[in-house]
Amino acid sequence: MTTLIVIDQAPYGTWVGREALDMAFSLAAFDQPAALLFIGAGVAWLRRAQNAAGIGQKTLEKNLSAAPLFGIEQLFAEQTACERFLPDPDSRVKGITMAGSVNHLLEQYDHVVFAG
Amino acid sequence: MTNTPARNNEGFLEDAGRWTPEIANLIAQDDEISLSEKHWEILWFLRDFYAEHEMSPPSNRLFVKAIREAMGEEKGNSIYLMQLFPGTPAKTACRIAGLPRPTNCL
Amino acid sequence: MSPALHPGTLHILNKAPGHSRFITCLANLTNQDTLVLTENAVLAASDADTKLPEGTVALGADIEARGLSDAMPVEKQIDHQQLVRLTEQYARIISW
Repeated sequence: MTTLIVIDQAPYGTWVGREALDMAFSLAAFDQPAALLFIGAGVAWLRRAQNAAGIGQKTLEKNLSAAPLFGIEQLFAEQTACERFLPDPDSRVKGITMAGSVNHLLEQYDHVVFAG
Repeated sequence: MTNTPARNNEGFLEDAGRWTPEIANLIAQDDEISLSEKHWEILWFLRDFYAEHEMSPPSNRLFVKAIREAMGEEKGNSIYLMQLFPGTPAKTACRIAGLPRPTNCL
Repeated sequence: MSPALHPGTLHILNKAPGHSRFITCLANLTNQDTLVLTENAVLAASDADTKLPEGTVALGADIEARGLSDAMPVEKQIDHQQLVRLTEQYARIISW
């Protein structure tokens, strides 16, 4: 059974999303399938060219890029939120599946958890 | 005495910038490991991994998984890695590689 | 003698677009006010749904962390020292 972890909060401002990423990695460690869905301001996680050194944090874009290596199946993003916050497709990281309908995606998972 | 840079109570470097291959050899002596090509293959993998993802594999299981993904079953298994890096391989290897402690390793 | 203080309000906003406090803050700006975006609020720089008032500035380190350097002109990016200086110029400050 795949767990869908939903991140609806902007990166860096709080630790909530980072904890959700840790949860995804922990599921992957025990070979429990997991997928991530970014919605609302959470899609800002998916912007390219992040560099968090100046605010004393690790760069989430780089942390997130380890997900496929650990066996995290898919990264989804809400399409309308991407159009709002990342209108230029070139500004988005690679390997994201666009979700036209979040409701439709949520219906496909028996286990959905929200970050925070 | 060799001037080993400061390390924390678990043997991890306080300042990752002080790491050199020579320092790695010194740290490896804690676990009575004499670093071979096989060790270095893993250590350089971990350092590259850190440079790319700004984190060490967070747990031993994910460390093994990442090695398996990169080098195949022959090396990506806990017995092989345990032989090279006794104790908790991820923790021992990160310590020698001059990287932060994996967050979920006890 | 110290220079006269700015008649408007300095709004320091750290909530992401869509957050209720972000919405309240933007709804309460007047022409005399200055808006400073920090932390999550800097996402407004690339938010198609937000029209930022002219003169809005943002903390450069927060812009850079989120990969928004191309979305905010460099002359509108400030550092912490400049933020401190701004706070000295306003008699009234709201931290949202």
